[in-house]
Amino acid sequence: MRVILEMYEDASVDRRTGYGRLHSVEGMELTSTDLGLTARVQHLTKTYGSGEGEVHALDDVSVGIRRGEFTAIMGPSGSGKSTLMHIMAGLDAPSSGSAWIGDTEITGLSDHDLTILRRRRVGFVFQAFNLVPTLHAWGNILLPFDLDGRRPTALEKARVDGLVESLGLGSRLSHRPHELSGGQQQRVAIARALATAPDLVFADEPTGNLDSRSGREVLALLRTACREHGQSIAMVTHDAVAAAYADRVLFLGDGRIVADKPRQTAEELSAFMLATELGAASVATSAGSDTTAEMSA
Amino acid sequence: MSTATTDIHIPPSRQGAARLMWLRERGMGASILVAAISTAFGVMLISATGFALAMLAADPYIGNTGTLGALDSILVAILLGLALYVAAVVTANTFSTIIAGRTRQIALLRLIGASARAQRAEVARQGLVVGVIGAFIGFVGATALAAVGVALATELLALEGVHYTVLRPTLLLPAVVVTLTTWAAAWAGSRRVLTVTPLEALGGSVESSHGDLVHRRGRNGTAIALFVTGGALLTLGVLAGFFTPLGVVVAFFGGLLSFTGLALGATLIMPPALRLVGRAFGKSATARLAAENALRYPERSSRMAIGVVMGITLVTMLAVATESAKRVLAAGAGGELPPEIAAPIDTFAAIMMGMVAVSAVIAGVGLVNLLTLGVVQRRRELGLLRALGLSNRQVRRVVLLEATHITITALVTGLLLGIIYGWAGAQSLLGFVRVDPEGAVPSTLVAPALPLWPIVAVVAATAVLTLIAAVAPTRLATRITPVQALVD
Repeated sequence: MRVILEMYEDASVDRRTGYGRLHSVEGMELTSTDLGLTARVQHLTKTYGSGEGEVHALDDVSVGIRRGEFTAIMGPSGSGKSTLMHIMAGLDAPSSGSAWIGDTEITGLSDHDLTILRRRRVGFVFQAFNLVPTLHAWGNILLPFDLDGRRPTALEKARVDGLVESLGLGSRLSHRPHELSGGQQQRVAIARALATAPDLVFADEPTGNLDSRSGREVLALLRTACREHGQSIAMVTHDAVAAAYADRVLFLGDGRIVADKPRQTAEELSAFMLATELGAASVATSAGSDTTAEMSA
Repeated sequence: MSTATTDIHIPPSRQGAARLMWLRERGMGASILVAAISTAFGVMLISATGFALAMLAADPYIGNTGTLGALDSILVAILLGLALYVAAVVTANTFSTIIAGRTRQIALLRLIGASARAQRAEVARQGLVVGVIGAFIGFVGATALAAVGVALATELLALEGVHYTVLRPTLLLPAVVVTLTTWAAAWAGSRRVLTVTPLEALGGSVESSHGDLVHRRGRNGTAIALFVTGGALLTLGVLAGFFTPLGVVVAFFGGLLSFTGLALGATLIMPPALRLVGRAFGKSATARLAAENALRYPERSSRMAIGVVMGITLVTMLAVATESAKRVLAAGAGGELPPEIAAPIDTFAAIMMGMVAVSAVIAGVGLVNLLTLGVVQRRRELGLLRALGLSNRQVRRVVLLEATHITITALVTGLLLGIIYGWAGAQSLLGFVRVDPEGAVPSTLVAPALPLWPIVAVVAATAVLTLIAAVAPTRLATRITPVQALVD
């Protein structure tokens, strides 16, 4: 049986055993790898402003993103989902707490080290402005390698070629972004994000600017990358239809994780969101179902 | 910025401040600076030559300066015209760049109901205000400086008989002309306002693509015609020079026409040249990003580069022409050129080079402006690149390389043109001089002489310009964090 409970504070669960705490018996800290996680954060807090105007974007969040899974992070505007993604991806620094990509603790890394880490181990698909307008599609796809000052290895080249093929971009490679449709632009961005086979791909509202058909295509592509190539993906979205493509859905509200659910239909997700909106969430999460974990904080 | 056109009710006390808010927009300050430099240059030029003429008039051996005065007026007009031309190009460029950055705001106003024409008139009005402020600053500053200079010179050189009043009506001429050209340049640079649709306020996420890459066949045709005619006249002048020094007159007009053709057709010549230089920097990501950026708005960078080209061409031309002329004269004199002939030639050339260098400085301001606005308007893209793994060092490299691409292209083009024009000038003027009395031909072919130091100075000045031009935009660019840019 699949254990859905995930690491919360110290009550983290080792996926292989289903039991155990984050700190193992010998007092040695378990690594992300041991936990089957590709990224995790612990006691993450992010505060903007000070005094009266202090805003807690994130309030003591601890969570892990499982390797090879397509995770959606949902929540209303201002829930902290983008902040969480930014910190997890090494784009922003937390006020306190730690974050790991793989087994590398990224909190405290220098700007330069973070840059290299993003370049080599993280992929990004944003809502818009994904591509460098002066480079054609092929140049955009190979950008992570170019920024690293190297050419793709034979293996990487084969993967990129395969991606271009499966994303149907073959005839579009010499086009500049403004000559591509929105859906094509997103596919180029996906090819770029997957090209280096990063530890984790972050997708920030990847369908936010697309018509529903292109949006479905993009989501199916992300799901395929996860299922067939074991690519770990974390997608931030407020769209229940998009989140329904994910293997797991994390809900954020007021800077905290309020629910952690396995695959859900769009209807279930919408119903849950509506319930949360109506203020019934705090009750509903514990009473709702056995797959809904409650935040102790 | 928007308050003046939307009739939003604002308390009267704050209206004045809000009305001038747009002056703080990036690019406006530089336009004021350009107008101030041009005006100051004009005022100083008129004062300096006027004072020199007054000195000559006071000299009992020279006395009558009527012809000199006329020559002086022509020279002042040419030098000032040159500076104004470059200034107008820079201002038009700056305004069109500012407009490109304002697209969203203009679209929003159009959405509310403002007409495109009213919007454009508003931009032109801003150009007028910028021109007035700049001209005023330049006028007051330069007049004060000229007054101090004249007083000092009279005192130090003990010129009792010289009476020169600094403040005179003619000084207003550069101020007025600069104001008007700034106004006109802002109008010319605001053409894009007319193409902004109200819809652009809604969509917004798609970057307005190569908007100013418009093919203007008519203008390109004129440019080519001017260039060909000018080139033919230049050749004719050189050929005529074998028989008469008047060949230089023909060559002068040839030079003028061909260079105007070049300036007009900058968008034909500069992009391929920029591309060539860009390629020379290799295929690394930073080099390619920089090369593509220099070509992103071909019209903008072409006009900017051509401004720098003008300055470099003229300085090089003067240097090559005087050096070549000195060689011929030296050969004619049988070896060494007597210092009493060489010295005034050198002094005249040096002064002239200094004068045309002012145009190069104005072009430099334009370059700084172009790069800075380029970075400001590329915030999101730079943020994206930072997210994808472009390090701050690479950001710095991209901006510096972008400046380098433009200045190197301008340097090479300018040196090449300067050598050709300089040689043609010397040849058409002195081709008839008989260097070797026993020679078979009655005339001489002047070898283009490259004076070392002026050319070293030009190269060094270009290098310095590149570094200065890159400082401000680099600082701006490295301050961009990925998150800021993505949240915008």
